[in-house]
Amino acid sequence: MDADPLAADVNAGWPIGVAIVDDHPVVIDGVRAWLAGEPRLRVVATGDDPDEVLRAAPDAEVVLLDLRLHGRMVLDKLAELSAAGRRVVVYSEHSDPPTMLAALDAGAVAFLAKHEGREHCVGTVLAAAQDRPYVPPALAGAMVGDARPDRPALSDKEREALLLWFQSMSKASVARRMQISEHTVKQYVDRARIKYTRAGRPAATKAALLARAIEDGLVRPEDIGIYRSQASADRPTP
Amino acid sequence: MPTESGAAVTADSVLRPLPRPRVATRPGPATAPPEAHAVADASDGGARIAAIVIAAAWHLAIALPAVLRAGPGMAFPAVVAVGWLVTALIGVWAGVLLLRGELPPARSLAAALLVVDAAVVAGAGERFLFSTANWVWGGLAWFFLLALWRRPVRWLLVMLAAHGAIAVTAVVLYGATASADLSRATMYVYGTSTLPAAVFVGAAALTAQARARAATAAAALAVAAEREAAERARTERQERLALVSGTAEEVLAELASGDADPADPAVRRRAVLAAARLRRLIAESDDVPDALLDALRAAADLAERNGLPIDLVAVGTPPELPVEIRRGLADPLTAGLAAAEGWARLTVVAGPDEVVVSLVTPDHDGPDETTTGGGGPVEHLHERDGEIRWTQTRWRRT
Repeated sequence: MDADPLAADVNAGWPIGVAIVDDHPVVIDGVRAWLAGEPRLRVVATGDDPDEVLRAAPDAEVVLLDLRLHGRMVLDKLAELSAAGRRVVVYSEHSDPPTMLAALDAGAVAFLAKHEGREHCVGTVLAAAQDRPYVPPALAGAMVGDARPDRPALSDKEREALLLWFQSMSKASVARRMQISEHTVKQYVDRARIKYTRAGRPAATKAALLARAIEDGLVRPEDIGIYRSQASADRPTP
Repeated sequence: MPTESGAAVTADSVLRPLPRPRVATRPGPATAPPEAHAVADASDGGARIAAIVIAAAWHLAIALPAVLRAGPGMAFPAVVAVGWLVTALIGVWAGVLLLRGELPPARSLAAALLVVDAAVVAGAGERFLFSTANWVWGGLAWFFLLALWRRPVRWLLVMLAAHGAIAVTAVVLYGATASADLSRATMYVYGTSTLPAAVFVGAAALTAQARARAATAAAALAVAAEREAAERARTERQERLALVSGTAEEVLAELASGDADPADPAVRRRAVLAAARLRRLIAESDDVPDALLDALRAAADLAERNGLPIDLVAVGTPPELPVEIRRGLADPLTAGLAAAEGWARLTVVAGPDEVVVSLVTPDHDGPDETTTGGGGPVEHLHERDGEIRWTQTRWRRT
């Protein structure tokens, strides 16, 4: 219901290769089960070491990464993969707002709290594969509660949409409350997410998200303070 | 694999320690607490008694006999006697107040004492100018002390300067301007002023020191109390975690041994409840328990005991809010929780200037007694759209 409506009209390159990195086999099995119902996705490699998994499947388009491997937070690894252009969807039971924002800063394409997995996992991975934003409710909560001094400046509508989406987990209800269409709710939420591509260090994944958002007409370059020509954008060629 | 992510989360979470609590950053007390004043009062109690005793002794044992001895020989004996009496009354009054821990009205007493000063110098006359019968020279400074207790030191210096000026004026008016007379007058003024001034300054310094020490002790105490509260919250959390882990382990063990069927709705419900409870515990990251979150947690625990799976997610730390605002934020949701069926999602988004609390539950046919409240500093919205019931309270700093 929250899957990107645009996802349906992009059919080239299906199925999408997904790599799963987690140190708990039972979780890998669970995620595999969630993804199994979606014919456009195929799990190409799994394991508990990101380097090994990606050696086994160098062409994986999306990496699902547990943020905590063998008792250690792997934010540095996340930053390294994102800088190299890997689309990483972080999923973690550590869904406290600072951790979620740190993952976005490090270049994660999306953050999925583990308890949101069943409902949002497929949608998140599909959106990530196309460099499109996907904001599950927990991440919306982290963004709307962001009190860091260098946080992106969100508009009132964007903030309200994030807040209501976080509260209700139903875009239809948010739309009724804000008296706008569901599509517009999603636009506000996604636009807020795109503004976060300007936070933290630059990463290839952030540039790709931003470029796709501009291409889709979701944001205009001047909305987020980019005035240079997109001809020079460091967007990876598909 | 269960259909709800709960069991997987559970297995993970039990094995991992809770997030380390943050270091408490609440500001310490901005002003000295009342205890500090109490300590200061107690610490200069000895000095007060000393000042009162000295003033009384001087007035009774030295001034009174001298006045009686000089008697009618003075220029205006009645004026001197009345002056003595007025000073004695002022001394008794100020002394009683000081012993009770109160401060006498400094300005009016100081003015009265200066009038007495001038009157007695004039009343004693030229002949008794340098004798003990002109008792104001030696003894009156101790009464200045009583009148100005705990006031700024410069007030006392002004009084002593006025006292000296009265004496010098008298000496000049009586024509006692020989160098011997002048040096005698200077010596008198200097001799009778320094000791009271020293006592006064000493007592003030002692008081200031005691007050600072008491404030430090009180601040340390506040920090200790905060640490203890955090420690207690942590212990409680660990205990609850142990309890919840127990029930979660039970479900997991039954699932593993095949005693429980994952397809059984009752088993799934138990798993969902255990997972929701664990998630809530893991999400608790506030050290010093916040009153608003505490109230919401208590309501959530209660609803959960009645079998309602409930998620409580808090983002940010609420500022310190007055009770009525806290109640305005929490009460409508507590009421909504009581009527909830199926599941509930309780969220708090808090910043220094805004707190928004929301409860979402599935809509059902049951009665809906919650109403939209208006007025007051807390905005309250409630609506049902066939899909969900949505209660939201919002406070904004104005």
